[in-house]
Parts: sequence; C-alpha cells; structure tokens
Amino acid sequence: MAAPNGTRGDAPDLLTAGMFIGLGALGLYMARGLDGGTLAQMGPGFLPRTVCILLILIGLAVGLPALTRPAQAIEAIRIRPLAVITISIVGFAFAATYLGFVLASLWLVIVGSLADPGGKWSHILLLAAGLTLFGALVFVYGLGVQVPLWPV
Amino acid sequence: MTFAKTTAIAAILTATGAGAALADWPTDRPIEMIVAFAPGGGTDIMLRTLAPFLEAELETQFPVLNRPGASGEIAYTALSQARPDGYTVSSLNTPGFLTMQIDRKLRYDPASICPIARIVEDPGTFIVQAGSEFQSLADLVAYARENPGAVSVGTTGMGTDEHLAMLQLEQAAGVDLTAVPFGGANEAKTALLGGHVSMIGLNVGEYSTSDDNAFRALAQFSQERSVLAPDLPTATEQGFEVLMSSERGLAARCDVPEEIRAKLAAAVDAALANPEFQEKAKQQALPLAYRSGADWQAEMPARLARFTEIFKLIEGGQ
Amino acid sequence: MNFVDLLMLGFSEAITPANLAFCLLGALLGTLIGVLPGIGPTATIAVLLPITFFLPPLAGIIMLAGIYYGAQYGGSTTAVLVNLPGEASAVVTTLDGYQMARQGRAGAALAVAALGSFFAGTVATFAIAVAGPMLSGFALSFGPAEYVALMVFGLLAATILASGPVLKAIGMILIGLLLGMVGTDQATGAERLTFGAVELFDGVDFIVIAIGIFGFAEIITNLERSGSEGVQLAPLSRLWPTRDDFRRSWAAVLRGTGLGTLLGLLPGGGATLASFSAYSLEKKVSKHPEKFGTGVVEGVAAPEAANNAAAQSSFIPLLTLGIPSNNMMAMMLSAFMIHGITPGPTVLTNQPEIFWGLVASMWIGNLLLVVINLPMIGLWVKLLTVPYRLLYPAILLFCCIGVYSMNNRVFDVILAAGFGLLGYAFRKARCEPGPLLLGFVLGPLLESNLRRTLLITQGDPSIFVERPISLVMLLATVVLLALMILPSFRRTREEAFQEEEA
Repeated sequence: MAAPNGTRGDAPDLLTAGMFIGLGALGLYMARGLDGGTLAQMGPGFLPRTVCILLILIGLAVGLPALTRPAQAIEAIRIRPLAVITISIVGFAFAATYLGFVLASLWLVIVGSLADPGGKWSHILLLAAGLTLFGALVFVYGLGVQVPLWPV
Repeated sequence: MTFAKTTAIAAILTATGAGAALADWPTDRPIEMIVAFAPGGGTDIMLRTLAPFLEAELETQFPVLNRPGASGEIAYTALSQARPDGYTVSSLNTPGFLTMQIDRKLRYDPASICPIARIVEDPGTFIVQAGSEFQSLADLVAYARENPGAVSVGTTGMGTDEHLAMLQLEQAAGVDLTAVPFGGANEAKTALLGGHVSMIGLNVGEYSTSDDNAFRALAQFSQERSVLAPDLPTATEQGFEVLMSSERGLAARCDVPEEIRAKLAAAVDAALANPEFQEKAKQQALPLAYRSGADWQAEMPARLARFTEIFKLIEGGQ
Repeated sequence: MNFVDLLMLGFSEAITPANLAFCLLGALLGTLIGVLPGIGPTATIAVLLPITFFLPPLAGIIMLAGIYYGAQYGGSTTAVLVNLPGEASAVVTTLDGYQMARQGRAGAALAVAALGSFFAGTVATFAIAVAGPMLSGFALSFGPAEYVALMVFGLLAATILASGPVLKAIGMILIGLLLGMVGTDQATGAERLTFGAVELFDGVDFIVIAIGIFGFAEIITNLERSGSEGVQLAPLSRLWPTRDDFRRSWAAVLRGTGLGTLLGLLPGGGATLASFSAYSLEKKVSKHPEKFGTGVVEGVAAPEAANNAAAQSSFIPLLTLGIPSNNMMAMMLSAFMIHGITPGPTVLTNQPEIFWGLVASMWIGNLLLVVINLPMIGLWVKLLTVPYRLLYPAILLFCCIGVYSMNNRVFDVILAAGFGLLGYAFRKARCEPGPLLLGFVLGPLLESNLRRTLLITQGDPSIFVERPISLVMLLATVVLLALMILPSFRRTREEAFQEEEA
C-alpha cells in the first residue's frame, strides 16, 4: 500500500499514536483533581494517572518510528455511512423514549437503510414494517423490554 | 429537554388535568412503579412481589420500570420530573436517599419527594466466621484496642451502610479498624469465608439467608431487635451506640394530591397485612416494618444530621 | 446414599415430563436471548422470576438455569455470524469464528462450538457432581492478593490475543483499563472521569462498548468499503466440520474445558478469563501461532469449551457455599430464595433432590441444546446468504433495543453510538479492539483487589510473594514477559505479522 510519491509516515500508526496520546492526555486532564494517595491508602487518582502516563508513552513509542517509515495511507473515509448510521441511532434513542417503540423502530430502519445508496423504497418500507412488528412482538411483549409502544 | 421546560410543561398539564385525574384515579390507567435498582436486586424483587397485591387493592396495574444507577439518583430524578398526578411512584431507599444529599450536587430537589410508606427495615449487622474468637462486640473491641488497624472490615464501599456503621463503632469504642471495600455483599462474604478479612458488614436480611454454620453475627444495629433475628442483641444493648438500618419503601412527588398519597399508603398497609404477602416476604427474608409516609419523613431530618456528622469523620482523615 | 444413588435420584427428578419441559423451555429461551445482541440473561431472568412463583421449586430453578447456559450457546452464534460479542466471554470467539464465517466455514465454526461446549458442559457438570464441595475450597483460597497476581497475568496474556504489533495491543488494554475506571470509585466514593454525567456514576456498561465498537463500527466499515453489494462472504464450502477440524480441535477442547472448570469457580471475571486464557494457551502451544486470528478452528473450540465449562462450574460456589459468583448467580440465588430454599451445605444434606436434580438437568439441558442447535446451524448459515442490505438494518435495530433495554435510557444508546465512532477510528488506525474489552473487564478487578490487598496488609507488598498461589502466578507472568521480550520470540511475531500483511 506504499504511496508512490516517496513521502514518509505510516498514517495508521500515526493515527494510533494520536489517539493514544490524546486519550491519555484527556484522562490526565480529567483526573487532575483526584487524590493520588499512598501505597497503603491508594487514592482514586493513583491508577488513572499511571495508566494515562503509560498510554502516552506507548503512543510515543508507536508514533515516533512511524514518522520515518515509508508512507502508508489510511483507508479512504466515506462520510455517508458514518453520518447516516450515527444519526439513525441517535434518533432512535430519543424517539424510543418520547415517541414510543413503533416510530423509533421505523425511523431507525428507514433512515439506517439510507446509509447504503441504491435501495428500493418498497423494499425498505417492507423491511421497516416487518422488523418493527417482529421487534414489538419479541422484545416488548415477549421479553418484557420496558419501552412504550406508542407516543406517550 | 431542559429541566425547567419539563417542569413548566408538567405544571400546565397539572393545572388542566388534575381535577379529572383525581376523580378517576387510579382505575383509568396503570401506575408506573420506578425501581432505582437493576432487575433482580433486593428492592426490585420486593416490589415485584408486592405489585400484584397493590394491584388487587387498587384495582389497577403496577408496571415496574427499572431506572438503576448512581445509588438511586437517576430514579429520583426521573420521579421528580414525572407529572404529579399519582400515576408515577418510585422506590425509596435509606440511607442512600439521605447520604447522597450530603456529598453530592443533586439533579433533583430532595424536598420535592415525599415518602408514601416504609415497607421494610433491615438493620445492619457485623458478622464473623463461625470459628472466630470474637463472640461479641466487646471481644472485638478489646482486640482492636490492642492491635490498632489489624481488624479488617469488609464493606460495600465508602459511605455505605456498613462503612457508616463501622465509623460509628470506631467513634463509640475509640478503636481503629480498617475498612476494605468490596463490590457487593457476596464478594465480601466470599472473602470472609476464605479468611481474607476479619469481619464484614451485612444487613440482617442478607445474613439470615446464609448458611448459619459458616457465620456468626455479633450485633444488629437497630433500635429494637428485628423480626428476622429476635435472638441477636443490638449494639446499644451491648453498650455501643451504633444505629444503622436500611429502609425500603415507596415515594411520590410531594405535589401529588394528599388524598391520592393517603390512598396509596393505605393500599400498601393493606397489602402488607395480607397473610399471603407475609408468607412470600418470609421466604425472601424481608423484615416487614410498615410506617406511614408522614411518620417516616418525620424521622429523616434527625438521621440526616447524624449521617452528616459521621461523614465529617471521613473527611477528617478516617 | 452413595454418589451413584444420588445421581440416579437427580436424573429421576430431572426427567419427569414437567421438569424436562421446563428445561427445554429455558434452553430455548436462553438461546433466543443469547442470539439477540445486548439482551442479557440477567434481565430476562429478573422478568421471569415472579412467574416461577407458581412453579414447583425445582422446575423453576431448572428453567432459569436453562436460560443461563442456553444464552451462552446462543451468544457464540452471534459472535461467529456477525462479529458481535453479546458478552465478555464471547469476545475471543469473534477473533477466529468470524474469520471462519467469512471463508464460508460458518457451519463448521458453529458445529465445533456446539460440540465443544457440550463436551465441556458434560465434564463440568460431572465435576460439580463429584467434586463440588472440594472445588469450592479452591475458590475461597483466592483472596485479594491472588486476584492481583491472576489479573496481572491475565492482562499480559491478553496481548497474545491480538495478531498485530504488541505495542498497539498494550495501548488498547490501557484504554480498556481507563474505561473501566469511569464512574464512582468504589473505595473512596470519588467520581472519576465522568464528565460530570450522572449516567456515568456507575461506570460504562460492557454491552455499550461491545455494541458500539464491534456492532456499529462493523456496520459502518462494511458499508463504507463497498456498499451493501460488496459484503460478500465466500460461498459456503461445507456445512459440517471436516475430519481435519475434529483432529485439530479435540485437544483444544480438552484444555479449554480444564481451564474453564477451574476459572469458572472464581467470582467476578471467571468466565471471561477462562475463554481468553484458553485462547492464549492454544496460541502458545500451537505449532503455527501466526495463523490465529485468520480463522483457525482451535481458536473457536478452546474458548467456547472454556466459557461453557465456566458457566457450569460457576454454580459450584452457589450450590455448595450459598455464594453467587456473578450477577447471574445472584439472580439464581434470588430464585432459590423465592422458593424458600437457602443454598449451602444444608441443602446438600436435607434436600438432595434439589441439588442433584439441578445437576442432572444441566447435563440434560446441554444435551438438548446440542440437539436443538446442530440442526439450527443450517438455518443460521442461511441467514448469511440474506443480502447485507436487508441484514444490517436488522442488526442495527437489535443492537439499539439491546442497549436501550439495559437501563431504559437515551444516554446509553448515544454513548454506544459514540463508541461506534471510536471503534471506526480504531479500524482506520488498524488497532484490534479485542484487548480493549479485556482490559475493561479485568481492570476494575485488578484495581480494587490491589487496593484491598494493600489495605489489609497496611501497605506491605511482600504478601504477593508470601502466598504460594500468588507467587506461582507472578513467576508465570515474569516468564511470559521474558518470552515476549526475548529477541527470538519477537522475530517470530514480526515474521507472523509480515506473513499476514503479504
């Protein structure tokens, strides 16, 4: 997968390093007010800080060598599935609470299906109706999931 | 939706609907029972057992909705945001309901929640292995005086019933014990059986369901001996002032009409008097102790003050 | 009464038509909830508990136990077919199971899992019958110090799991540890890493992370690669395992069963530790460790045997001491109590029909599960031929309901969507998420036991080398670490990695 133009930098590893260092730093920031304590009376901040520092060190160990390695690209990112799936899930969460299971499920299946271009509307609607019926029967009636079926 | 907005909407709905709702209550729709703990916990099983009896008393349905988390705060917040029409009630547990008022910034106003009725009072207790040299609190205290810090006490975490009971004993007897937090009563029991800690705190209800041959209780921390353990002396009887019980009951918003709350309390009272329910409660080792919402609430300020005082001990470096 | 009489008594109780029917009902229900991602057996049993009021005690308990081990079976089906672990112990099954499915060998993976589980269940059931009380002593000898040693060993062993670079695996474990610390600190009550959100006071739930990182991220990447048209699995080569599959799995099943039976006794992470230490062990003893993660049958057989054995042996502390070793067992304890039975040594002597009836029914239940599941494999595998365009909205819906139903709140679903994005980023960075989940499950156990140990000894760490079990495990950790640092070992790892790349 080496890029032809001869630039350096292993992008997936650099991304890894960025995430490790970023999460470690975030953790350190959030744990700033926590007491470290002593070995006998370990405070709540002791292990979070230790883990974050280790994480940052590992991030550096992954990232620094990656800078000089031959270039490797990250797989192309496509926004459509990423955005549509996330929106459909978040919408489901709110709809389930305020609009009931039936509308939430229809929303999730119909909007979720849009993540993939080229579906037939008739298929999507049929699938949405079928899955909603199945979900209502199995989860709400059968397994007693505590969610209203209709808007409250 | 913001809290203020919800409250505003709730207020409008109350103003327009209260009259009609009061007349039909409770037969026109189900009464939602919020349980502050996950399915299968002691409080959950108790209320699921009680629900059919309440349904029979009030001729309506009591669907259970579990809203576990943050030792009840999530459920109390949900209750305080429900419409004050008597169709939402919630479980209420002490000391959790009280102690969270001491050290946390809450998302609801504790004064907006009124108890309907207490169902169970389960005193705390300290237990040791059956083969332990400690026969009573006095033995334990004598040993702890000689060996400060050597007695390890399994609790279920900082500020829990057992921990508060331990702090009270330390204060009452002037000894130094070491609290060792565990993930739950069962983990603590396992550690005690394996001899990894000297003693653990439990509730009498939990203790009475264990095999008697393995454990011995040293004291119970109620004012009077619990129905579950009539032979076990209280700490006060043994000369140490340690008072700690966990109580479970039901609560509703304070602005639910007085009349509806009284009806609910009466229904709980009647259900608890039902021999069939008492039989089930006995099987689950539930120490039934009915108390009306008003009486229960009257006790709370004094207890809150006492817990606040004990919490200061924690901050004082305990 | 001697052992054989008691076992006969148990079987005579368990094969009454009513008890058999409840066993079957439980096993079926368990399989269903196991297959559906996110719906756990604990919640189902809680809902069903009141119903068991009306059943005779043994029938009620048999049914609930059936749900529990049925769910274990069902969980591996989802792990293999759609790369979605329903619970921690199924994480490792996804590693090789899903790869087998992609190569058109889903049937073989499921069959090996079912047969391996059945074998393990049989052995563990007899272990309960023969040595239950003795084995429970083993669980008690594990104090906080032993747990610390076990967890340190376990976390290090988790790095073997991943097939990528060791450093990335260690980083992912650390992230898992960090996630495990979110919430109220058990020992001090301090609120940690919660962003002030009350919903996070009790920490993040395993299901939220698993469904986000595995379920949602998998769907997004699949769609991204080539749209729904492109998600094609190799055509089904053959429904059943080959002779070669059996030859390679039997030893793995044996080792997995042994590990699972022992680790299942331990409270807390027993079943999870069992399944992934079984996997790590196979990878260590294998002549071709580099193939693990690409769809080798041992990688499915060993952890599946281990987690089923552990599921059975986790009943031992409950039945013999009255102490439940996990949430599920705590539910079983409630079920016993509702019927006025207090599990413990006295039940063994006073009500032998309850104990032995349950033990016998567990074996029967396992047999029923194999009989139900083997023919179902054909059906499950057909599911893979459903076009992805129709399949993924269904997976999406089941995942969402599962997450929502845990606490009935919006927050968890949104958090899972967030973890979906994180999992997506991990995939772009070529980091494997398996070790993260293990760090997440084991981390809190490590931390709380470390603090407990040092509280009890008042800050003296010498206890770790003074207690024999802890010493042995720490020595094993050192050996493992040495092996990993030794250059020769590193070279083989790198070779393996390059081979994969090629």
